Amino acid sequence: MQAVAQARQAVRTEAVWDFLQMCTGVALVLFMWMHMILVASVNVDFGGGRVMNAIAYFFEATYMAQLGGPLIFLTMLAHFVLAARKLPFRVAEQKAMWVHTKRFNHLDTWLWIIQAVTAFIILVMGSIHMWTVLTNLPITAARSAARVQTGWWLLFYLVLLPCIELHVGIGAYRIGVKWGWIKRSHRQYFHGLENKLTLVFIAIGLITLITFYFIVKPAV
Amino acid sequence: MGRQLKFNIFRFNPEDPASVPHMDTFVLEETDAMTLFIALNRIREEQDPTLQFDFVCRAGICGSCAMLINGRPDLACHTKTKKLPDEITLMPLPVFKLVGDLSVDTGTWFRGMHQNVESWIHTNKVFDPKAPEEPMTNEMAEEIYELERCIECGCCIAACGKANMVPDKFMGAAAFNRIARFMMDPRDQRTTGEYFEVVGNDEGIFGCLGLLGCEDVCPKKLPLQDQLGMLRRKMGWSAVQHLFSKVFSRK
Repeated sequence: MQAVAQARQAVRTEAVWDFLQMCTGVALVLFMWMHMILVASVNVDFGGGRVMNAIAYFFEATYMAQLGGPLIFLTMLAHFVLAARKLPFRVAEQKAMWVHTKRFNHLDTWLWIIQAVTAFIILVMGSIHMWTVLTNLPITAARSAARVQTGWWLLFYLVLLPCIELHVGIGAYRIGVKWGWIKRSHRQYFHGLENKLTLVFIAIGLITLITFYFIVKPAV
Repeated sequence: MGRQLKFNIFRFNPEDPASVPHMDTFVLEETDAMTLFIALNRIREEQDPTLQFDFVCRAGICGSCAMLINGRPDLACHTKTKKLPDEITLMPLPVFKLVGDLSVDTGTWFRGMHQNVESWIHTNKVFDPKAPEEPMTNEMAEEIYELERCIECGCCIAACGKANMVPDKFMGAAAFNRIARFMMDPRDQRTTGEYFEVVGNDEGIFGCLGLLGCEDVCPKKLPLQDQLGMLRRKMGWSAVQHLFSKVFSRK
């Protein structure tokens, strides 16, 4: 059949970038939730570390940590570059967005500002965390405890934890909304679920940090 | 005696070189069932005849009276003052060209949008005025009508973070709703690829940040969120399919 619209050259690159932004986002959300399960396993035996060490050993014996770690880092970088295409880097755009956000005072718009700000914090602090952990293999509860109990690391994780959980929670909700998996009829439910999940993961993270700081015996 | 309402109203006449953007304050006693339409008309009649604002239907149908009411885009004619605090700030809709004070030119924007999305039925069929009209199911007609209810007030565009950020480089929810309406219409013969050319880029659906300001302020409660999601999924999947077909056709 003859085309009925004006002939124009379709450029699919931007669609593919957007699709990849979603894919890398989903991958990182799933990774972060699994990562929390691994780290929080230190609480299962009340700081004994045997469960966490066993899981960490499994990931290293199968080379999933050695290969997966750098792959996750690359995925994070790719996700940042893809998502940063939507960020206002010009001052005029930043001002316009900020004026609009303050004036409109709309929850989902504020959540996007939180997402954008935490993205930069996670990029820097997440990179530092990954470098430190992956250059000090094997991962053990005692080594993690030694790090958390040294210098400024506790404060470092107290900042990184809420940033990650907020970014992941809001991001998961936003992907659902943007790609139409969350419909109007379910939006409030998923909004509530996102808030609860974020709070639960921050709580688990805080309990885990307390365990590492006060209970787990650090490696000498 | 009713409440004393304090109105802070944006004033600026871009046609007057001496005019400087500023806020003017007016105080008015609230009356029963007062709407912003009534309040603004009283201010113009009793306090300042130079105040500019737009109204036509007074019934939430024409879309002329959209403005920022305490920062939120809405129609002034269907906004009751009793739902608002004692102090009310009125600003013109952002993104659109300012005519003066609270009046903006949404017409030029919407005309451009309609031209951009080719907002008409595209078909190869030659119209025969003597032939009986092709039947359409009632369900389909109702689904199309649901999206046709847009009154082009511009609230969705004013509530959009992306449209505020890059005013001339984003199509906005009104355009996406319009495209969704034609995609649904069995009489429109455009292919997904042809729709993709219109909307499948960062100025179109892939530039949408998913903030849902549009969904939350639409005075007609159009299902904008569901149209944005459907468009992104359909256009995204089409691009991925195209990519795969290119990769596999090379072998």
